[in-house]
Amino acid sequence: MSTTTESPTRGAVAVVGVGSTAQGQFPGRSANEIAVEAIELALADAGLEKSDVDGLITCQNLRSRAGTDEQIGLLAGLNPAFSATLDYGTGNFSLHLAVMAVTSGLASTIVLCYGTNQRSAKADFGVAVGGGADFATLSGLVHVAGPAAMAFRRHQHLYGTTEEQLAHVAVAQREWAQRNPAAIFRDPLTVEDYLASPYLVAPLRRPDLTMISDGGAALVVTSADRARDRPKSPVYVLGMAEQTALRGDANPDNLTRPWLGDVAGRLWSSSGVRPDDVDLLYIQDATSVWVLQMLEWYGFCKLGEGGPFLAEGRTRPGGSLPVNTNGGQLSESYMWGWLHLCEAVRQLRGECGDRQVASPSIAVDCSSHDFLKGAASILSTHQ
Amino acid sequence: MTTDYAGPLPDTTDPLTGPHWAAARDGRLAAQCCARCGALRWQPAPICPECLQAGGDWVDLAGTGTIWSFAVYHRAMGPAFRDAVPYTVAMVELDEGPRMVGMLTDAADDGSDVTIGQRVRASYEPVTDDVTLVRWVRA
Repeated sequence: MSTTTESPTRGAVAVVGVGSTAQGQFPGRSANEIAVEAIELALADAGLEKSDVDGLITCQNLRSRAGTDEQIGLLAGLNPAFSATLDYGTGNFSLHLAVMAVTSGLASTIVLCYGTNQRSAKADFGVAVGGGADFATLSGLVHVAGPAAMAFRRHQHLYGTTEEQLAHVAVAQREWAQRNPAAIFRDPLTVEDYLASPYLVAPLRRPDLTMISDGGAALVVTSADRARDRPKSPVYVLGMAEQTALRGDANPDNLTRPWLGDVAGRLWSSSGVRPDDVDLLYIQDATSVWVLQMLEWYGFCKLGEGGPFLAEGRTRPGGSLPVNTNGGQLSESYMWGWLHLCEAVRQLRGECGDRQVASPSIAVDCSSHDFLKGAASILSTHQ
Repeated sequence: MTTDYAGPLPDTTDPLTGPHWAAARDGRLAAQCCARCGALRWQPAPICPECLQAGGDWVDLAGTGTIWSFAVYHRAMGPAFRDAVPYTVAMVELDEGPRMVGMLTDAADDGSDVTIGQRVRASYEPVTDDVTLVRWVRA
């Protein structure tokens, strides 16, 4: 690894517990009940009791009050010293807040959680995303599939990327999911199957879009000093970076999300880690297009070369850069990236059975909130 | 006028966006221009995001632009568009600079005749007595 300006929080905080509930469809269960079940699982994984926790970070559901810290704290019987709710806590944003809280001394051991019953509750994802929602809705540009389709069409136009190349995102993740008993979609999916499936929003098809599912996930993080006393090997947070694009369509080429390159630049320069050092890559995949974009913006391949990179099979089981080894949101479950973090921790601990990658030491998790925010974390077996 | 339009409708009495809808009824494409710094903006906003000056002067644009990208909805992704599919939505780079999304109403059902870079012009389509939507056709 090269030496660069290092973040003051590098390696100061570790994930010591992860928990994930069953994923699927659970009518009659509230989002909050599912979140608390995940908390219980994560605490057990960490070998900790509820009374050991002095911080709580929760994740509010989409267009719902469910999941606030007030509700979760009440239901789980917690009076933490520090608590907060993110209204769109893809795991990374919540993890970063936890690192800040621990390193600042606001809390020492924090549980982070997300639970959702979005499938059973029939949450409406058929709405416009991003800052320009009203006029987008009037134009029929609803659901993330629309702007994602535009972004991929643009990529095709600029770089000659093909639908067959994009197919490899969904196909590779399905191959991983077939090795993950917890994944919801495990039926075989070939490139031919993909190309034979009808368009939803051309040029995107069903396998390009996340499923909608119920489930929960939680993490326990604490200081590196405390982490050493836990029963399982700590997974340290070596780096983190964020960038927003709150100006939306006023940003140049916003659908292609070039500001993800700013997250990447800061991530690599603050950690000293380089793309070549990465053993496992997790990309929060609301759509397959996000995987294509982030492979490029984070420098795993050159801009415009994501199509051939994917088609070479590098992200599949046995490939040089395993991506979304849980199956991702396209095949495992739609958990706003939280299961990506759980999987990264389990892989780094060597707990992943048939899909275990050999002796990984560094995992990177890249996530985004539509066209508005990006975040990434580096997780490692060592400080 | 009666139509079978089943899609979403704007509130044309909204003080912020009302001038845009009034212009559309007259067959004009209007957007705001900052009275202080001159920045042209789309969408409507109560404050100039460049210099933070409140308000903005409504100006007419040429109503012409270029397709930056497009998406072809084969499936209605929201219930309001069940009757509309298949349809194509384009992101249009206006000749004055800002980008605007709108339905491309002269596209083939499967969008096969649409390409990035095609020239388009605004098409003002009354959908109710009150509302005229800005849509796009190839120039």
